[in-house]
Amino acid sequence: MKKLLFILALCLMGATAASAQKLTGRDIIQKVKDRPDGDTRYAELELTLKKKNGTTRQRKVTSWAIDEGKDTKKMMFFTYPGDVKGTGFLTWDYDQIGKEDAKWLYLPAMKKTRRISGSSSKTDYFMGTDFTYDDMGSRHVDEDTHKLLREEVKNGHKCWVVESVPVDKHEIYSRKVSWIRQDCLTAAYVEYYDKLNKLHRVLNIDDVRKIQGFWTIQKMEMKNVQTEHSTVILVKNTQYNVKIDKALFTVAKLEKGL
Amino acid sequence: MKHLLTIAIVLFFIPRSASAQDEDSLRVDVKGFVDTYHAVRTESPNDWMSSRTRVRGEVRLEKGHAGAFVSANLVHNAILKDRSGFQLREAYAYYSDDHWDARAGRQIITWGVADGLRLTDIISPMDYTEFLAQDYDDIRIPVGGLRLRYSREKWCLEAVAVPVSSFFELPTDDKNPWSVGPIPIGDEPNHRLCNMEYGGRLSFFLSGIDFSLSALHTWNKMPVFCDGIGQYQRMTMLGADCSIPAGKFVIRGEFAEYLDEAQSFGRAASSNALIGIDWYAGNGWMLSAQYAHKYVASGELRNTGLATLRISKDLLHNTLSLQSFAYIDVTNGGIYNRLSADYALNDQLHATLGYDFFHADRGTFTVYDNNSEIFVKLKYSF
Repeated sequence: MKKLLFILALCLMGATAASAQKLTGRDIIQKVKDRPDGDTRYAELELTLKKKNGTTRQRKVTSWAIDEGKDTKKMMFFTYPGDVKGTGFLTWDYDQIGKEDAKWLYLPAMKKTRRISGSSSKTDYFMGTDFTYDDMGSRHVDEDTHKLLREEVKNGHKCWVVESVPVDKHEIYSRKVSWIRQDCLTAAYVEYYDKLNKLHRVLNIDDVRKIQGFWTIQKMEMKNVQTEHSTVILVKNTQYNVKIDKALFTVAKLEKGL
Repeated sequence: MKHLLTIAIVLFFIPRSASAQDEDSLRVDVKGFVDTYHAVRTESPNDWMSSRTRVRGEVRLEKGHAGAFVSANLVHNAILKDRSGFQLREAYAYYSDDHWDARAGRQIITWGVADGLRLTDIISPMDYTEFLAQDYDDIRIPVGGLRLRYSREKWCLEAVAVPVSSFFELPTDDKNPWSVGPIPIGDEPNHRLCNMEYGGRLSFFLSGIDFSLSALHTWNKMPVFCDGIGQYQRMTMLGADCSIPAGKFVIRGEFAEYLDEAQSFGRAASSNALIGIDWYAGNGWMLSAQYAHKYVASGELRNTGLATLRISKDLLHNTLSLQSFAYIDVTNGGIYNRLSADYALNDQLHATLGYDFFHADRGTFTVYDNNSEIFVKLKYSF
């Protein structure tokens, strides 16, 4: 019996090792993208921008999202500071490569909604923070080529280290290296390199908790190591599978406001 | 000044909304700003063109699907004394559920996709008390009416009825540096049911294009000078507009046919078309150009053209915004260019420095040819 168990254990170990060997960089990034996060989501984001000299600025955002198949619709409103309060973004993110996302911006002072470019802002910084729109949203897995470099422990978590190189050479980074936690499939640490292959920005994610059974990032900090400007995002009041109708994700609701 | 302090104190003490409140509790949302704006003419006699301070308060009360919104200004205007005091802007009640949205009361209604130009966007007129040298949202004049919307995921149908129309405000007082001169303007149409404006707009929002069709039975809101007097006449507008995103660009188009429009020689239809392109160049740059053409079916001056050019750049993590916005009178060769630099001193306080440049020998901007000015503004938002 002991022999049988020993052989079974060996077989299982062999199978695990074989599947780990087969896991590619792309597989890991796809796993991260496919991490369960409910069909709908709600969160309040507090963004603190910190200058090198220590002065800070703040932005607050309330956001909703709904999945429709592989596509995602998002509605986001600024709640602070006062001059941008009520400004809203509506985004329909399409999973299909080559299909441009649809985006609308509502400016309350103008009482007008503008259709905005679906692709250009991806590499722009989001409202003056150190996060690009791409960092904030969901980048398609095949917009980069991924390579599993190694496995190592980072910040006390066992991680896969994956290098991702953009397919489009116009992206603002030449490559990024991500430490992906194996326990919860979120990044623990990411390095972004500029066009000259110099370290440009680093992302630290040090607070990941389970909320309603879903792994949720609570705090992350992006630091531009070249300018020493940084942005901390605190995610508050996260709720999954909230009761929201897809009618919320329309231009009419964008104009109605919160 | 006492009024300004009073409204500021009242607004600060109104309870703020709590985001976690449930749908059936009363939500109170307050926002607004205090700003002070001063402009001096850069040409002789280098006099003050504007000097005003105001408090804007906006209060929204909402319970369940119903609510009310009020927006008002308290203004101290050192140049135009009659513009000081309390100014009610919008005040309307609304009902809004997943698909229906109804608003009744004094409100600003905007249509179309043009930026700073009006083709189908002719319901809420403009306040030219200081021509275009005011914030865009201050220029729009609310109308008293009903707006009903029914929206689905990819389309929206809107109906409007405006029994209490508003008309352009044109300064004729010679004490106002922006006066268009002592011109006689006839009476505005009476607020009677037969003078009501009404119309509708059907809009579609698709993955590759937004487009709308609109129709409005309205008035020429800007008085047309006929027989030596500014007159308001009935007309019908049939319009269409579209926005097409294409990579880093968005192409915008708008068309409006004004049937039986009042002209200086009588009545004639006019065709108004606009083409615009926005370039989201990245790295904080944004460029936008538009050209609008008007063709009148009869008369001497049948073709006129107006263009706009906007260039803006955000710097220092969006704390500094540089912008140039120019109106170019293509027909007469005039230009009005507003250059501005806006710096966020902190989350609430913005300081703006700018220059308004006018040059025209003929056409719309001639009357403002000596009005080039430098301006400064401080704005505290809450």
